[in-house]
Amino acid sequence: MPKVKINGKEVEVAAGSTIIQAFKASGQEICHYCWHPGLSVAGVCRLCMVQIEGMPKLQIACNTEVKEGMVINNTSPMVKETVQWGLDFHLINHPLDCPICDQAGECGLQDQYMQFGKYDPQMAEAKVKKHKVIDLGPTVVLDSERCILCSRCVRFTDEVSKTNELGIFNRGDRSEIGCVEGKPLNNNYSLNTVDICPVGALTSKDFRFRQRVWYLKEADSICPGCSTGCNVKVSYNEEGLWRIKPRENKEVNGHWMCDTGRDSYKFVNLKARLLAGKIGKRDSWQDVAVADAARSAGLKLRETVEKHGADSVALVLTGQYTNEEYADILKFFTGTLKSKNVYHWLNNPEKVNEFDGLLFRGDRNPNTKGLEAAMKNSGAAAGPTSGKWETLQSQLASKKVKVVLVAGPENQATFPDLNEKIKMLQQAETLVWMTAGHNATLDQAGSETWQIPLKTYIEKAGSFTNFQGKVQSFKAGTTIVPQALTLSEAAMLLSGHDIDWNLRPKGLGGPKTNYSITQRGTL
Amino acid sequence: MSTAFTLSKEAEEFVKSELKRYETTYSAIIPSLFRVQKEKGWVPPEAVPHLSGIMGIPEAHINEVLYFYTMFNKKPVGKFHVQVCTNISCSMNGGRELANALCKHYNVKDGEISGDGKVTVSRVECLGSCGTAPMMQVNDQYIENLTPELAIKKLKELGA
Amino acid sequence: MEIKLLTEHYSKNEFQGLDGYKKNGGYAVLPKALKMEPKAIIEEVKASGLRGRGGAGFPTGMKWSFLPANNEPRYLLCNADEGEPGTFKDRLMMERAPHQLIEGMIISAFAIGSKKSYIYIRGEYDYSKAVVKKAIDEAYKAGFLGKNILGSGFDHDMDIYSGAGAYICGEETGMISSLEGLKGQPKLKPPFPAVQGYLRKPTIVNNVETLAAVKYIIRDGAAAYKKHGTEKSAGTKLFSVSGNVVKPGNFEVPLGISLKDIIFNICGGLKPGRKLKAVIPGGSSAPVLTEAEAMKVTMDYEALAQMGSMLGSGAIIVIDDSNSMVDILQTTMHFYHHESCGQCTPCREGTGWLSKIMHDILDGHAEVKDIDLAIKISQQMMGKTICALSDAAAMPAISFLQKFRSEFEQHLAKTSHKSGDHHHA
Repeated sequence: MPKVKINGKEVEVAAGSTIIQAFKASGQEICHYCWHPGLSVAGVCRLCMVQIEGMPKLQIACNTEVKEGMVINNTSPMVKETVQWGLDFHLINHPLDCPICDQAGECGLQDQYMQFGKYDPQMAEAKVKKHKVIDLGPTVVLDSERCILCSRCVRFTDEVSKTNELGIFNRGDRSEIGCVEGKPLNNNYSLNTVDICPVGALTSKDFRFRQRVWYLKEADSICPGCSTGCNVKVSYNEEGLWRIKPRENKEVNGHWMCDTGRDSYKFVNLKARLLAGKIGKRDSWQDVAVADAARSAGLKLRETVEKHGADSVALVLTGQYTNEEYADILKFFTGTLKSKNVYHWLNNPEKVNEFDGLLFRGDRNPNTKGLEAAMKNSGAAAGPTSGKWETLQSQLASKKVKVVLVAGPENQATFPDLNEKIKMLQQAETLVWMTAGHNATLDQAGSETWQIPLKTYIEKAGSFTNFQGKVQSFKAGTTIVPQALTLSEAAMLLSGHDIDWNLRPKGLGGPKTNYSITQRGTL
Repeated sequence: MSTAFTLSKEAEEFVKSELKRYETTYSAIIPSLFRVQKEKGWVPPEAVPHLSGIMGIPEAHINEVLYFYTMFNKKPVGKFHVQVCTNISCSMNGGRELANALCKHYNVKDGEISGDGKVTVSRVECLGSCGTAPMMQVNDQYIENLTPELAIKKLKELGA
Repeated sequence: MEIKLLTEHYSKNEFQGLDGYKKNGGYAVLPKALKMEPKAIIEEVKASGLRGRGGAGFPTGMKWSFLPANNEPRYLLCNADEGEPGTFKDRLMMERAPHQLIEGMIISAFAIGSKKSYIYIRGEYDYSKAVVKKAIDEAYKAGFLGKNILGSGFDHDMDIYSGAGAYICGEETGMISSLEGLKGQPKLKPPFPAVQGYLRKPTIVNNVETLAAVKYIIRDGAAAYKKHGTEKSAGTKLFSVSGNVVKPGNFEVPLGISLKDIIFNICGGLKPGRKLKAVIPGGSSAPVLTEAEAMKVTMDYEALAQMGSMLGSGAIIVIDDSNSMVDILQTTMHFYHHESCGQCTPCREGTGWLSKIMHDILDGHAEVKDIDLAIKISQQMMGKTICALSDAAAMPAISFLQKFRSEFEQHLAKTSHKSGDHHHA
């Protein structure tokens, strides 16, 4: 393992590493645009210049292999002047779009410009004009003038998504990124190109013009979109969640996530949420405090068991909750109610083993494995519902099961037959439905129903077990609906115990009345 | 919707044989684009997905090659594409005057097609004929040691 | 003064075809070479002092010896992209003597153990492409190409490949990229082509003239070749002379000949009433020489390097006093702006910026400080890029602006519009 000195600090790296990797290992900054650890080396931005002792000319760090004993620096005046001019070359044709550009606040050019302070642009010529606001596909918008031609996006579609939609056309300073007519940028990983674009050339249609990034905070989490469990970071503020981006994890998702997973913030926001407990049925719902809803539901369950036995209740669980929550809800059901009538509601069991070759899996639940393990541990019947729906259905029809307790999917879009199943479960005399979001079919209940609002994945701490059996823990990121319960808290209340209300997170308060909410135009 | 893009059978056979000629099928892109240009006079954008289908090469890669090289016409040109060198030695020997005279004679601006569709005049970079300047390349042919009068005469002989 | 070593039979039209070539000594060296040890051929070429005739002047034998000793397939690529403004010698060689090139290539391929070679010919050279292809077909029929050449056990296949109009494909890795079916954009070095070139295999890229010269080195021996030229610049060179001389054309002379001799004795000097103003000695990328420098310098790699310029491709552009250096520089900057492949930021943006400044200076929309700005930009474009096109644009700019600064300043003084608004698209 060669040892090198970077700006005086010694660092040891794996053999075959490049200088830029040594910089990263050493925790030191080096200016760069085109290099990306998840892509091949292009060496085109020419900014990662370093001075190597013994070599008269500056070298680029991304393509120079470290050798034992190299003494490297990027702080000498020669390097600084070179980087300053390199940056200036990037800027001479770059449009002054900052006021209307989404990238502002997280822009490579802005950051480097501030660091190198070249406040005296000497370019007095007309800038090269290119196409702006180009519809590259269903998810991404291109602005060619902003593009610094780092080629990261092209390398991404060639090497990672392997869909080859993007190319760089023309020579010289007329070069433009683009697709060919008839083959737009349309794959389930397209939004990664927006992440890796150092400037605002590629922007997400979903996020475009909606929020300034300096009003956003980030929280680490795990994507709940499928059983891969990509590591993500969620951008949020008081109004809610705005977008999801991948976090690097070498073992799980590398540097990427799929586009489908990026939608996993929409069901979290206020608009989609159940905000109060509801008891009743169609056309006669009563809003109650969440805790009261849980308490009265718990009472109903316990009374039913007392009167008709443990088999008169059923628990239906979906794989979208944390390991800790499963342990608690099963403790309540198998411990307090002493019932083993637990069903694992797996949507699309025939697609569970599908895999697109990169990250996206057919099992659209983040914690199927965790649920299976929890059910096994609790002694309850394990295995997916295939073949078991009939059992539950006949139990409902014969009125053997009177009350069904459901921990429904918070990501309702992943359960295409959700409404059918709701209707089926509404055959029960009493339905206690716990979920994060509201649902119109639930509201049409013909028989006695409880709706109990739950917290989503971003609002609680816990762990998911992914398809490989890897347990990934996460902390609560933010709270959108403070009154909603975690499944664990619901379990406590259902069992007749109380929870420590002082420990619960306070909400962020939601949008203030004078807080401007940008209206989106359509593209 | 305009009529779909088609290539002659000979051209498609040529493309297929070029795919086998080199160590990598990608090398067949340049010869195939030339073949399309030979047939159509230029390379219409629809040629790209069409070639992509025959060659099994992503459209974006073919398009990159199409737009990288100067000799592929991305717009239609006249029957006689008159390319006049205006680089150093040719400029020193009347190349620009030749180009201007031809543009004036055929009443076209640089890169435009004349009214009768016969002539396009383009100013181009060094063609490797510096010792016989000024000169022009008409489609594939070099015509050297010119004056404006001589050039127009030669073009007339060719049918322009 | 002229030495007709490679060009000995160029005046004979028959030399183009196989029969005429053979009648004039053609394919007589190949059998001799095939009986030598490949290593011995490399040593002979090394000893001859032959340097790359395309522009870089790198010692050919040394380049060949960089090939790794593994059994990966090797490729020999002949660079016939000839795009350097002022250069038209390879065109002459291909049109008049395609078999000379082929024979030189087979010998070189045998020396480096290559079973496949390509001649990458610039797309505009339609006639050269046809002539060379015909010659390759003739060579196959005569058994000089293909399997077991002349019973030696050596197999070799050769093909041509057409460029499509891009100066950057004259850069060796740009050419390799183009041959691979990609855009002709140069590749990062290291790895160098000899180690990882065409399709990541060991590859030697040589110019047309270099490969043709190999035949004569093997025919006559290294010592005979070294008799021509200077100690460090051995052999003969074809110089393409153009611009304002009375007799432009290609001339084969020994390296080390004085530029004065070339212009005034071989090329008939200048037109009556004109005086020499400047000379570009090695293609548009070579820093320009003033009249004083041009009259002193000899045409060899060392002397020109010492003068701050380079031999380059050997394209000599003679500039008399009827020309404006401002105009010529603007034409040159326009060329590099047009030809930059666009990969590296300093070149992509710098060539555009320089071209616009030159336009402004020419049109009178600039000020004296723009001259210094252009020099500074050029200096910052040098040594920072994947290939040398950026330097090739910067060096002429610096040399013109520094050596002819007074002419630029006078031009600005005469034509300044003081419109205040700089804009040139």
